[in-house]
Amino acid sequence: MLRFLVRRSLGALVILILLSIVAFLLFFGMPRDPALLMCGKGCTPANIENIHHVLGLDKSIPEQYWIFLHNLVVGSNDFAQGPCPAPCFGYSYHTNEQVWGTLMDRLPTTLSLTLGGAVCFLVLGLGTGLIAAWKRGTLVDKTFTAGAMVISSMQIYFLGPLALAILVYQTRIFDKPAYNPISSDPVAWFTGLIVPWVVLSTIFASQYTRMSRSSMIEQLQEEHVRTARAKGMSSRYVFFRYAWRGSLIPIITIFGIDLGSLLGGAIITEYTFGLPGLGRLAVEAVSFSDLPLLLGVMLFSATMILLCNIVVDAAYAFIDPRVRLA
Amino acid sequence: MTSPIDVEDGGTSVVVDGAIQLATTPEAKELQGRSPGQLMWIRFKRDRTGVISACVVIFFFLIAAAAPLIAKLYGKNPYTVYADEQPELFDSAGVPVQPNGGISSEFWFGLEPGNGYDVFTKLLYGIRTSLMISLAVTVATVLTGILLGVTAGYLGGKTDYFISRVIDFLLAFPAQLFFIASMPVVVSLFVSPTDETPVYVRVVALIMVQWFLGWMSLGRILRGTTLALREREFIEAARVSGAPPWRIIRREILPNVVTPILVQGTYMLPNFVTAEAGLSFLGVGIVEPTPDWGQMFSKASTELVMQNDITYMFFPGISMIIFIVAFNLLGDSVRDAFDPKTAR
Repeated sequence: MLRFLVRRSLGALVILILLSIVAFLLFFGMPRDPALLMCGKGCTPANIENIHHVLGLDKSIPEQYWIFLHNLVVGSNDFAQGPCPAPCFGYSYHTNEQVWGTLMDRLPTTLSLTLGGAVCFLVLGLGTGLIAAWKRGTLVDKTFTAGAMVISSMQIYFLGPLALAILVYQTRIFDKPAYNPISSDPVAWFTGLIVPWVVLSTIFASQYTRMSRSSMIEQLQEEHVRTARAKGMSSRYVFFRYAWRGSLIPIITIFGIDLGSLLGGAIITEYTFGLPGLGRLAVEAVSFSDLPLLLGVMLFSATMILLCNIVVDAAYAFIDPRVRLA
Repeated sequence: MTSPIDVEDGGTSVVVDGAIQLATTPEAKELQGRSPGQLMWIRFKRDRTGVISACVVIFFFLIAAAAPLIAKLYGKNPYTVYADEQPELFDSAGVPVQPNGGISSEFWFGLEPGNGYDVFTKLLYGIRTSLMISLAVTVATVLTGILLGVTAGYLGGKTDYFISRVIDFLLAFPAQLFFIASMPVVVSLFVSPTDETPVYVRVVALIMVQWFLGWMSLGRILRGTTLALREREFIEAARVSGAPPWRIIRREILPNVVTPILVQGTYMLPNFVTAEAGLSFLGVGIVEPTPDWGQMFSKASTELVMQNDITYMFFPGISMIIFIVAFNLLGDSVRDAFDPKTAR
């Protein structure tokens, strides 16, 4: 287990370094000059030269990348804005704040949105999937399957504004979505996020309904399940203790991918509901051409995705004893 | 979900050299031999859901292709700002005065709140833009997937290792984030940031960005299929008879990977449509005044629409749901027609 974790973490580290190189080349190696964007209208060559020097853009690309890595690992005191401790992504061009600090500010919003949403869509998706498999072939099954099919074809950018319009703007049942820290006001935290949770979980749950139904049906045809039935165990016991456990494997795979990409910033969801999370931060960074911030968000969210993948692979071994981690 | 490939039945069409052809022809005459393609077509025609969804999908592509013609017959175009042309149709906020988003015999789908574009033509042209981009992305990713996947699987060894690692690496990319982050960069390759960005540059950038992170899943599947095919006897026979690698790939392997390509292609295209629409929704894809499916969603999510009349929201929304549902059902039917053994 430990060997597996170490090996996978090293692999993830390699991917992260490669990713940072690609992202760095993409943003800093391209013919576009970030100084030109910062300088704005009425820009003189002297101004541009000055900005280049301040941002360190007058150095060569490998040199810039080395400085970036160096700052990331040990921090730096060279920034004009002030000292920058260890995980240092530099200072944002736009707000002049530390990128790491901004990331940490935005993380709780994304965490709340994602974890709350995940609980909702897992319960909803697995529940409906199990019921559909249990009642296979009946009207309930067909309704759930067809419903999941239609809902999974909806997009957050349609369902989100629709829910906002109906639940918030037209009927005023709920407040406008907003993020309030759970530590200061749990009730406001809950009511502020309920509409995003509902929308997020509706869309994600449909996928889990389909997955858990089909994987459950597959499991029920397995031989160990048939043996258990033949021994005279009750169908309920076999259903939950034998088939359900086996059917979780493919679901966990998908869940790991979903959770990772959501934690890395549910871009469209946060943008739709105006929640100040990591995804929205990315959109802001793009619109202001804020390269250090963008690089920070990108690496952070890639780390989230990779971490979730490792955790998921490790979780297989707990659920299915046949899986050995090599 | 990956589709298991029916290698056992798929190999019948392969003819290695004249001798085998001679041996099989008399039998084929008696039994009315059918090619796998014909069998697939026969199975597909029996599947009612598949045929209906194929019709819906074809309908969407037809109206997209014929959008200029339909708009001409209908007598409007998606660029006319009716808020300026006929201000009496709008109230002071820019919302259509008539109920249900200003639907009338003149404006079939109503008027867009704000600028007052005609929704019907806007939607037609929007579907046209989205489908054109997605189709181009699909073609580009399929070609790349074939090229790299088949190469990796056939050559094996170091090439395979290298391509597989590239695939693993690109799959770890945060895709959506990469899309929005690289769009401005790719656009800046073509135009300087101070100039106005022409529409075609945005379109090309959208295609490039989605292509870059779109080909891996197909590439990986084709690699696996080719790897399995390489060990089959008919490939070995071809190699022994002295066929060059290029001929083996073209004549022996490619005909046998048509199934996964078609199945994956039908699954990929709707994903590209929604991804492109998502980018335009976020404001990094196609922007006003060029009509686009996704950009209509961003218009629909403004407070102006949400607070007043939400009719406008349903036209892009419902049409996209119909399109995606039909395309996904079509994908399932295509897979079933090729692989009757896999259960849904």
